[in-house]
Amino acid sequence: MADNETLGEQLRRQGISRRSFLKFCAATTSLMALPPTMVSAVAAALEKARRPSVIWLSFQECTGCTESLTRSHSPTLESLIFGAISLDYHHTLQACAGHFAEHLRTEVIDKHPGEYLVLVDGSIPTRDDGVYSTIAGMTNVQILEETAAQAAAVIAVGTCAAFGGLPHADPNPTGAVPVSDIITDKPIINVSGCPPIPTVITGVLAHYLTFGGIPELDELGRPLMFYGDSIHDRCYRRPFYDKGLFAKTFDDAGARDGWCLYELGCKGPTTHNACATVKWNEGTSFPIESGHPCLGCSEPDFWDAGSFYNPLSAPIGDSSDWAAPAIAAGAAAGAALGLYGRRHKADAEARREPLTARDLEDKS
Amino acid sequence: MSGKLERGLNTLKAQIDAPMAAFFSSCVHCGVCAHACLFYTETGDPKYTPIYKLEPMRRVWQQEYSFWGKLARALGLSKPVTDQELADWEELVYDSCTLCGRCSLVCPVGNDITYMIRRMREGMVAAGHAPKGLKQVTVRTVEIGSPMGITPETLRKQAAHAEQDAGLPVPLDVAGADYLLLLSANETMVFTDTLPALTRIFHQAGVSWTLSSEAYEATNAGIQIGSSDIAAELVQRIVSAAEKLKVKYVISPECGHAYTALRWEGPNLIGRPYPFEVIHVAELLDQLRAEGRLKLDSRETGRLSFHDPCQMVRRGGVIEQPRRLLDQVAEDFVEMPDAGIHNWCCGGGGGVSANERAVPLRRRAFHRKKEQLDGLQLTTLVTSCANCRDMLEDGLEYYDMDIEVKGLADLLAEHLAESEPGAQGGEQS
Repeated sequence: MADNETLGEQLRRQGISRRSFLKFCAATTSLMALPPTMVSAVAAALEKARRPSVIWLSFQECTGCTESLTRSHSPTLESLIFGAISLDYHHTLQACAGHFAEHLRTEVIDKHPGEYLVLVDGSIPTRDDGVYSTIAGMTNVQILEETAAQAAAVIAVGTCAAFGGLPHADPNPTGAVPVSDIITDKPIINVSGCPPIPTVITGVLAHYLTFGGIPELDELGRPLMFYGDSIHDRCYRRPFYDKGLFAKTFDDAGARDGWCLYELGCKGPTTHNACATVKWNEGTSFPIESGHPCLGCSEPDFWDAGSFYNPLSAPIGDSSDWAAPAIAAGAAAGAALGLYGRRHKADAEARREPLTARDLEDKS
Repeated sequence: MSGKLERGLNTLKAQIDAPMAAFFSSCVHCGVCAHACLFYTETGDPKYTPIYKLEPMRRVWQQEYSFWGKLARALGLSKPVTDQELADWEELVYDSCTLCGRCSLVCPVGNDITYMIRRMREGMVAAGHAPKGLKQVTVRTVEIGSPMGITPETLRKQAAHAEQDAGLPVPLDVAGADYLLLLSANETMVFTDTLPALTRIFHQAGVSWTLSSEAYEATNAGIQIGSSDIAAELVQRIVSAAEKLKVKYVISPECGHAYTALRWEGPNLIGRPYPFEVIHVAELLDQLRAEGRLKLDSRETGRLSFHDPCQMVRRGGVIEQPRRLLDQVAEDFVEMPDAGIHNWCCGGGGGVSANERAVPLRRRAFHRKKEQLDGLQLTTLVTSCANCRDMLEDGLEYYDMDIEVKGLADLLAEHLAESEPGAQGGEQS
């Protein structure tokens, strides 16, 4: 488990060349939007970094976030970085089970108070005392509170942990809440996405190892270096949007020619994530590149934002029962005010005296 | 409430039409108009933000025409606009606005702020809060016929001078001519090369034209001071003279706001369509060029640029004509940054040049023009508005810049081929 070996020592022990390590540092540096002059600083810091213990807690989740991290990469340095932290507790990946697994979790808390990281995926149920998800006889709320109490920081991986995600969607039967609703006294980094991009997860960890602190966050607690731009602003289809060229269906000529998917419901303009630049599957592509609109999965409540296939400008929800009377009432009120205003203006016009040169002479 | 204030507020009320109401309620307070206004960019003072210049009028709109505004007034939460406020706003509405239209061009919600200021001035002048210089100019235009006090007798004398200069007759009050030429006061009295220049060009091109001793002044102080009553009276003089002479066209001379007044506002001011067409002299000259009737045989060797008068490009759409004409005579033509529809004002439009109080501010704002010209190494700056020309000369002198300023027609006439009159034959009758 966690020992005093530095990351650099461990990499050398595992036969990773200096060259591939520096390549990784360069990639990480550019991913974090740092100037190229920082590569050597990043390398030096990473080399010396001690492997922090990491406890990965899985609550109401689908394991997609873990899948994203593990399966989408063949053994690259990113996964080694993950190996380079001491992942002491992870339901899906740990070998042991039962009491021994839980013992490891409490051991980390006791041995490294204030030093370990807690990664959470999945939302936390709160209704009916949180009975909808329990592990080893403890509710998720209890586990999270106990584990986070001594943590250095909490990283909420995935939209469920960051914003409640799918379990939080209307009608939210389990009373699911994000990590930030439970833990209020620790720094929380939200790495949202359903799932998040694997390199974004490792990038945030690399930042933590390099600089020993949490990166600059946006108003939703997401690292600005990955969530600073909207998908729309970085989308390679953006020129079509600017020209007003939109695919109307999934199989029309516009769709085949790669036109903008806005009218097919693309949420790119309101979604902040790095998909359009970092891309998925080792930089192969991202959903819009495959011809599908962005679902907006890294934004809060994306599941409740109407149909994925309604354009952003379409109203959410059914307005048919109240819209017509409301419009009629609004029109009637507007017409009445308009008539009043018009009479008021006509009155003012009637009282107006024409201006002559004599008026100007009076005062000058 | 004093009689004048009541009159002013009532005028403001009457000036608020559907576009005004829509503009006021559409403003998103983004401040983009500030960066389009040379009085803001050159001073950095936020009070020169164009939409802020309308604040008293916005309050009148809110209190008189909006539900919440009326409610607030009824509850005593908002106070009526006072005479002091209007007095305070006089500088913002007159001295620091040339009606150049740049703010209207950039407003992301499409508010025509220039249109709004124009309407606000109606209320300001009715309340007695117009600059003294502009008032005097307006009185002279109404009572004597020209802002510079040019009488028909003076015009006759100037026309006689022009005949001597050009060596050609200058037709006056010729009924049945095709074109009635108007002049701006500056052209009649200061830039006296323009009339001989046009006389020679029209002679060569065979244009049938005339001056009128009843309507020779193109400028319209009513538009500048913001009085539709006076503006209509001045437009009516021109319309009456044009109808009497039965001309087909009236030529708006090299003057920015005269073009706006006559071509765009005029028919609305007098409430009926014209029986003639209004054409800007640059449009006419370009037409003559296209028809091959403008024959030029030499070129300007120094470096030239063209200053776009705001009313011509932004409010009038005359952009390419002067460039095509300059292309005929310029060997070394360069555009200044932001040329064309985004060009910066000379600082003296919209009545500012008639307002002595505004001179220091106007010269400060001219710094924007200086920046546009710095580095171009011009010999000559051409423009197509006598007021711009006057302001450019003043500003260039103030900033100690050695650039000659010329009118478009004057420059063309210098390069006119000494040939027979146009094949169309029309030696003016």
